[in-house]
Amino acid sequence: MITKIIKVSVVKNLSTTTIDAITQDLLPQKFGKRGMIWTAGLILLCLIGAFAYYRQLKYGLIVTHMRDYVSWGIYISNFVFFVAISLVGSLITAIFRLANVKWATPLTRIAEIIAVSAIVFASLIIIVDMGRPERMLNLFVHGRMQSPIIWDVIVIGTYFFISLLLLYFPLLPDLKILIRAKEKTGRALNKVYRFQGSFWKGNAAQFKISERAITILCIMIIPVAFSIHTVTSWLFATTYRPGWDSTNFGAYFISGAFLVGAGAVVVAMYIFRKFYRLEKYITEMHFEKMGRIVVMLALLYLYFNINEYLVPAFKMKKPEEAHLRQLFTGEYAVMFWLAILIGMIIPVIILLFRKGRKPVPMFIAGVMIVVGAWFKRYLIVTPTLLHPFLPIQDVPASFHQYFPSLEEWAIAIGSLAGGLLVITFFARIYPIIPIQETITEQHEKDEQI
Amino acid sequence: MNKYNATLLLLLMIFSFAISRASAQQDSVPAKELVKLRYFNDKNKIQYLVLENSQKKGKETKPLATKTFSLYLDSMNRVNFIGNVTTDKNGRAKSFLPPSLKSAWNASAPHTFIAVPEGREESMSELEITKAKIQIDTASEDSTRNIIVQVSKYENDTWVPANEVEMRIGIKRLGGVLSAGDEESYTTDSTGTVTIELLKKNIPGDAKGNIVVAAKTEDNDLYGNLYVEKVVPWGIAVNPDTGFFEKRTLWSTRFRTPYWLLMMAYSIIIAVWGTLIYLILQIVKIKKIGIAQA
Repeated sequence: MITKIIKVSVVKNLSTTTIDAITQDLLPQKFGKRGMIWTAGLILLCLIGAFAYYRQLKYGLIVTHMRDYVSWGIYISNFVFFVAISLVGSLITAIFRLANVKWATPLTRIAEIIAVSAIVFASLIIIVDMGRPERMLNLFVHGRMQSPIIWDVIVIGTYFFISLLLLYFPLLPDLKILIRAKEKTGRALNKVYRFQGSFWKGNAAQFKISERAITILCIMIIPVAFSIHTVTSWLFATTYRPGWDSTNFGAYFISGAFLVGAGAVVVAMYIFRKFYRLEKYITEMHFEKMGRIVVMLALLYLYFNINEYLVPAFKMKKPEEAHLRQLFTGEYAVMFWLAILIGMIIPVIILLFRKGRKPVPMFIAGVMIVVGAWFKRYLIVTPTLLHPFLPIQDVPASFHQYFPSLEEWAIAIGSLAGGLLVITFFARIYPIIPIQETITEQHEKDEQI
Repeated sequence: MNKYNATLLLLLMIFSFAISRASAQQDSVPAKELVKLRYFNDKNKIQYLVLENSQKKGKETKPLATKTFSLYLDSMNRVNFIGNVTTDKNGRAKSFLPPSLKSAWNASAPHTFIAVPEGREESMSELEITKAKIQIDTASEDSTRNIIVQVSKYENDTWVPANEVEMRIGIKRLGGVLSAGDEESYTTDSTGTVTIELLKKNIPGDAKGNIVVAAKTEDNDLYGNLYVEKVVPWGIAVNPDTGFFEKRTLWSTRFRTPYWLLMMAYSIIIAVWGTLIYLILQIVKIKKIGIAQA
């Protein structure tokens, strides 16, 4: 099944010039001027977020605008967004690998690093939301197995570990190449590579074990990935509130997660292709095929959205009515229709046409999907909390409104920047396209010719 | 503009003017502070006062919180001082009669309670009551169960029957007193007594079948709020299902997690993490092979 990773002996037949050319193209590159500015910008945003979190720790959650009504604000929206985007690891890496979809090989590592960085920041943002980070321990000391929160903690930890292994096993052959390219990668990084993979000799026995491990991980990550997002949806669906009281929530969340994850991969594909000059490896064919997948996923998510809103709107029960009116024509109408339009409808229209599946329009559609998805998560969390079935008595009027405070914005933006920073540093240290697998595939193509 | 439209416009203008006038009048109505004193005699043992302070403006009444009042019995002097009270967020304050006023309380039948707002002696409020007591008894004959209530007032150093006292008689439930008969309220006769038959059958009681029969007057002009109760074995014994909290359910504590959930959760955790540990061992194996080759 994992035919892409084949024995080294086969690769020996490929000309040394081709191997060298591929290796040179795909080795991690030092930051240029734009890379430095990009990284510095991200670090700055992270530092601002860290300062805002310091203020939150010092003064408490009072610095946020979360009160009795909206107790899950922008932090939980961000958490759901991160969890959603992390699902892409299972789509590109596992599902495509198991289905023997060979064209996706250059995208597997991009997808996996997006998944790992997203799941790391999903975990961190939950701790931020708790207010008192040391109370995280209470989840393990006093946790109830009946609570979806415990399931979420368990499944996020498991998914992170599987994603890390799925990143590490296919990286082993590349580590050997990186160790050899000491002059280009530098002494400091060489030490890192040696620590992580100096034992990899690329012999048949090692390949056999690695192939089997990757297959097991690919099989295992799919149900775990589905669980992580289903359980996250259950955090909402098991709470009796307008907009969340749905049996469809698991499927609704998963379809949305696949869409935003695929959108994020498209954006990353374009950026890495352009700035790392990878046009030979991430070709227009990749955009064409990813475009088709994104259209399918966007239509699927649109279908679930229609289900989620049309059925309650048809019945218009009183508490649901207040919630839906706020979304359709009220305070959140602009954001709601914007999320639907830029998150689903416009990308579908762009990508339905062959010209729309070229790199630049695909990149624009990908950005729209990701931005639309973030606002969609905000809309899933906040308006519902403002309309509970049982209104809270004797609360100040300000509790009936929610707009995140500066601290909340700074922390949320800082966490998003942190996720991008992890991807940036990963691309600086490791090849973003698997070198060994690309060489192997090139060999297979040559043999077919 | 045709005639019909002109008439409609004129009517609308008149209507708007009337609404705005009514609204303006509402705003011009001065606010009036209300102080209400209520006397309670609970089971002939505990006497206390409840003060209710509110502000009325037009049709709207809102409670006044954190207002302090001094309470006196019969006259405003230090000897007859009951105590200072401060209203809560509902505009209510409560005070018991102190033991120091026992002799003054016993000395006469009619009494006057005086409430003086802090710093505004001219705005004092008064409540006059006549000392009274209420007694309850029961009588069973065949399948007939009667509740007998007697109200007496203190007059000329002796207790005499109080007639024409309206009260509620029935069974004490969470929401108040459930009338024992068909009427909502009953009135004492010339002997100060009222006897009614308990028509409500099969009332759930406690574990022994006990229910509480009660009688109370509500803001009676002469006697205030009198209340008395008696426990009788006239109900149906009900044993509450306390086992509910002992069961293993999805909503119980972590110590009572359902076995099926524990089994499912731990099976999945062990299977998944067991596989992950196996995969880590595979990395160790790969490492060993590499070292051996080197």
